Amino acid sequence: MTSGVVAARRTLPRIALRPRLRRRELGLLLVVAAALVVGSLSLGATQRTLAAHLNGDTKPVPLLGLANPGLLAIYLGALALAHTVLTVAGRRTDQILLPTVGLLGGISLLLMERLPQTLAGGLGGLAQTQLVWLLLSLGLITTLAVAVRNDAWLRRYKYTWAAVGVGLLALVLVLGHTVNGQRLGIAVGPFTAQPSELLKVILVIFLAGYLSENQPLLVEESTRLGPIRLPPLPYLAPMVAMWAMALGIVVIERDLGAALLFFLVFLLLLYVATARVSYVALGLVAAAVGGFLVYSLLGYVRTRVDIWLNPFADPNGAGYQVVQALHAFARGGLIGTGLGNGLPLIGGNLPIPALHTDFPFAALGEELGLVGILAILGLYLVVIERGLRIAASAPDEFRAILAAGLSLVVGVQAFIILAGNLKLIPLTGITLPFISYGGSSLLANGLVVGLLIALSDRGAELPPPTPRRGNRLRRLVDRGAA
Amino acid sequence: MDPAVLALWVLRLLFLGVLYAFLWSVVRVLLRDLRVAAREPGAALGRLIVLASPSGEPAVGTAFGLDAIATLGRDVNNAIVVDDDFVSSAHATLTFRGRAWYVEDLQSTNGTFVNGSRIEGISPLAFGDELQLGQVRFRLDRARP
Repeated sequence: MTSGVVAARRTLPRIALRPRLRRRELGLLLVVAAALVVGSLSLGATQRTLAAHLNGDTKPVPLLGLANPGLLAIYLGALALAHTVLTVAGRRTDQILLPTVGLLGGISLLLMERLPQTLAGGLGGLAQTQLVWLLLSLGLITTLAVAVRNDAWLRRYKYTWAAVGVGLLALVLVLGHTVNGQRLGIAVGPFTAQPSELLKVILVIFLAGYLSENQPLLVEESTRLGPIRLPPLPYLAPMVAMWAMALGIVVIERDLGAALLFFLVFLLLLYVATARVSYVALGLVAAAVGGFLVYSLLGYVRTRVDIWLNPFADPNGAGYQVVQALHAFARGGLIGTGLGNGLPLIGGNLPIPALHTDFPFAALGEELGLVGILAILGLYLVVIERGLRIAASAPDEFRAILAAGLSLVVGVQAFIILAGNLKLIPLTGITLPFISYGGSSLLANGLVVGLLIALSDRGAELPPPTPRRGNRLRRLVDRGAA
Repeated sequence: MDPAVLALWVLRLLFLGVLYAFLWSVVRVLLRDLRVAAREPGAALGRLIVLASPSGEPAVGTAFGLDAIATLGRDVNNAIVVDDDFVSSAHATLTFRGRAWYVEDLQSTNGTFVNGSRIEGISPLAFGDELQLGQVRFRLDRARP
């Protein structure tokens, strides 16, 4: 009878739930909870004082009280739930990404509570809607971190993923509606989705598959162009295709930010896969040529660059957003004005248009100051460090490039929009990961972090290698050996 | 100073302080992590994991750290001794050239297989590929830093 039980156990798929304590994650989550409670107290006290001041009350107001206890409690509960699920699942995965992302999301929630609630969002206000998206994003992270045990479905169908990506691009072309001159979103019923957020994940998956498969060929330098050595010409095609795709996004969808993000991530991954500085240099030259072309041919690109070079030429018109953001950073100074104490509405309008999606960093810079935004930059650096560590300890090239790409896509996106807000580079309308308002952005970045946590599992099985086709490879190798 | 204003200041600074407390604890964990990784022994170029070995020498699950050149075979003078009846005394050589691994079959009696197909002469070996000598199967993994 015992042997029967054993046999039955062998035939069943093994679902081994061995709970494993995650002490580091728990400790860090406690710090996150403390930070969010203190932030909420600070916001509540400031808001109450301001309200009393506006009403002309002179008697002291009760200071200690959370800004929006319900929302905060739900968010912290969701973080605790995610931690519990990961503990029960018991995989040996990364314990730092969840608290870091949880803190970024919490800061986002505080910011959305502080902004006028009528700004956007159908579910009873800005903060409520953002909370719902944050919860969905946390759910996605947890699900992927528990359920993804195998990456064969990612690596085997890389051309299918590429086709899905191209399809998404085409969908935007056909169904896209234009916001502020950019063709970014597709509207499905009451929702608008931004496919470029999903597209960046698909791009990383495709590039990881392509570069890991062709890595030996890409480092083969058989083509020589003067002093520059290039890989075999057919394998240059994807680079040219990427360049053309980035230009296409700029020209047709008028989305400068996504084009910049995709091309930078592509160059970074090419470097990760081949360690050839010359390819990156070549890519940068191609980007410079492309940049010059779109600058001289497209009016809206020229406007962006002109605003960047001198926003004060038209401070109440074209340069308004950028000028107001600079003023916000200046008002913030070293330690900021305090949460909730930033500049109030000007005549019923936000001081900076599209603050909740494109300029959250300016709002945080005003209320938390230089010290605060340096801490937030530090959080993004932690995400990148974790991703690169996961990449470094990955067992094979595909996982290494995938992990590096997933963390870099978040990091580079944060860098592009931060630099845009600070007028270091021309402003591009992409979101700040985990802080900007918006469902597409939160879900896509949740997908990224969930996959990263799943990939960090050292015990996860490698799929069996697929038999190699490469006749071309053999020819090249024979030539090299001869 | 007005106690209310003071309380607001304290809360503001406390929030910034807790943000840095989080960063500090993360950085401490990361540094410890890096130190542990630096202490782990491991070859710089790659590792060969034994997947299947009917004779038990090498044992399944053994991980060999690889130098730039590693010879495989039944003879005890090989870098990796494979004691299997179907393996020649000098069976194959693994070499790391440029940025990639290559395997060369040393005209062994029963051949060397990469991902199930028999190789002739030199063949590239990517990380994650399976290498088979006789009845012994290996997988080439990236080295852990």
